[in-house]
Amino acid sequence: MSGQRVLVVDDEPQILHALETTLRGAGYEVTTAGTGEQALILAATRPPDAVVLDLVLPGKSGVEVARELRTWTTTPILILSAVGDEADKVDALDAGADDYVTKPFGIDELLARLRAVLRRSGPPGEPELVVGELQIDLEKRAAILRGERLRLTPIEFRLLAYLARNEGRLLTHAAILRAVWGNAYQEESHYLHVYVSQLRRKIEDDPARPQYVLTEPGSGYRLVAPSGS
Amino acid sequence: MRAARLAPVVGSAVSVVLVTAAVFGLRTAVPVLSLGVLYLFAVLPVALLWGRAWGVVVAIASMLAFNWFFLPPRHTFQLADRANWLALAVYVVTALVVSDRAAQARRRAAEAEQREREETLLAEMSLALLQGEHVTEQLDRLGRALAGVLSVPSARITLGEARPDPHDVAVPLVAGERRVGMLFLDEDAQGDEAVRRRFLPALASLVAIALDRAQLEQEALAAERLRVSDSLKTTILRAVSHDLRSPLTAMRVAAESLVSPAIELDEADRRHQLDTVRTEARRLDRLVANLLDLSRLESGAAAPRRELVAADDLVAQALGEVPAPEQTRVVVGLPEDVPLLEVDAVQVERALVNLLENALRYSRPGSDVEISVWTAADEVVLSVRDEGPGIGADDLARVFEPFERLTPGEARQGAGLGLAIARGFAEVNGGRIWAESESGKGASFMLAFPLSAAVVEGQV
Repeated sequence: MSGQRVLVVDDEPQILHALETTLRGAGYEVTTAGTGEQALILAATRPPDAVVLDLVLPGKSGVEVARELRTWTTTPILILSAVGDEADKVDALDAGADDYVTKPFGIDELLARLRAVLRRSGPPGEPELVVGELQIDLEKRAAILRGERLRLTPIEFRLLAYLARNEGRLLTHAAILRAVWGNAYQEESHYLHVYVSQLRRKIEDDPARPQYVLTEPGSGYRLVAPSGS
Repeated sequence: MRAARLAPVVGSAVSVVLVTAAVFGLRTAVPVLSLGVLYLFAVLPVALLWGRAWGVVVAIASMLAFNWFFLPPRHTFQLADRANWLALAVYVVTALVVSDRAAQARRRAAEAEQREREETLLAEMSLALLQGEHVTEQLDRLGRALAGVLSVPSARITLGEARPDPHDVAVPLVAGERRVGMLFLDEDAQGDEAVRRRFLPALASLVAIALDRAQLEQEALAAERLRVSDSLKTTILRAVSHDLRSPLTAMRVAAESLVSPAIELDEADRRHQLDTVRTEARRLDRLVANLLDLSRLESGAAAPRRELVAADDLVAQALGEVPAPEQTRVVVGLPEDVPLLEVDAVQVERALVNLLENALRYSRPGSDVEISVWTAADEVVLSVRDEGPGIGADDLARVFEPFERLTPGEARQGAGLGLAIARGFAEVNGGRIWAESESGKGASFMLAFPLSAAVVEGQV
């Protein structure tokens, strides 16, 4: 991880300062910007490996910055959001942001999200993914939970595999629908809800309290290793 | 009442006496028999004033008087000449016809007048209704006008359901399905029943519509007030939660970075993170204090405890409250003779702190903020001037409203409470606050308090 450059954008100097010091302490190279305009210039002159972007900025808003970044770079974007900014958060995710944390966030959460968005989607050639007690064999198209092979339909398997390749990352409804069903289906989120609940019944101990497939209200799903394991 | 009843009796008697006197005066010049026609002048006014019945009375009384005083044999009701019988009969019939005509004309005139009054009142009501006047405030006036039109001693209109007095006639005012009020008439009154039947329903429905509309308007107003206060509360909650979260975020990140094994900090970084925790905790504290101040000011619980304070003490205290900015210089200008104020020192200091924080917040790095004190006329003025972006003329008054921020998205430090609190504390201490600015050239905020009376005397 070390040496990766993170651009932090926030108009609160105190937050900017604290984040800069913290991320540097975590081994990242940090650049900071207090406005959206400044952020776009910095992103172009010193391309970051990830952008940590506050939604509320003077001048250009966080959503606009995300949208403009996405016109020329795939650099992962982690949104800093707040309760009450839900609509903006969804807009930013739609505009291509990768994930978000909600203020006031803890640094463990921030670092975990940052690592997840930096990991990029599953490295190619890795035939087996492990998340908690779940093993997913991409070549044999098999999913194994605690040594027992799960009986998954092809779509359920594709859904699980896509989530697992992006472990820890927030995946928007549209992104999952595109990846699993194809471009034509990205508006059909009810398909997704149906399949997620089927998948949960097969992999979760208690489907009503999911530990693997977490719902991010209004934005998407995220596959994580259960915190207990 | 008795005078009114006596009037026709007296009037009739007087008119007969007057005409009799006139006939007496003329009897030598003109044949007496032809003078009988003069009695028509007695019949006519009485019939006009008091109606046909009195006209008939006067006609008969006239002829009796004529016979008694002037027709031979005089001082008897007997008649010597047959021709006199005929003349008297012609006079009586003529008098009766004239009195009947006169009374009819009078009745028509009175009826026309009555209708006109009714129509005037209805027209007035309709106009008031069309112009959206507040009918509810004019119920008394309306009642009096109605009493006049109906010729009853009193009429009153009440809102909602009301118990009638036992001797009142009550007319419900109904708009649609709703009973909006009651109309009461004094039952003892001898009002004209026909007028009531004709006029009351029209008026009652008009008043009912007007009252109904006024009631609906009030309900709409109340609902609107509720909505505004609700949306204000939402705004306040949003602004406050946003402003609480910023320092919390900085504190949490800084504090957790100090203990996280994943993060290595050198000594300077550690100190820096600790500083962040400290300054952000103070900021949170000030925000909470501001909220308390504001709620105290708004509930009127901020009674000042006045004492004599030196202006330079206030400035020094305020400067001590506000953390030294890194890139802004604070310049202080105090007069030779430091003026004294009679104010609540804590409250005025909080006002000054808020002005100072506001100035620092909007200052460009490297620019000055100037605090100065001077005496003008009978006031002490404390001023805080910055070299920030300034305020447009239209916004100068608005800056003192709570939760107003002029530049959207900018300066998220502070919910926009500071200036509102400064104004509140200035006003409860008998002072005033205002802003002066030229857009682009910074802004000045002035606090002015009356010079303490004791101090003014001491200086003379």
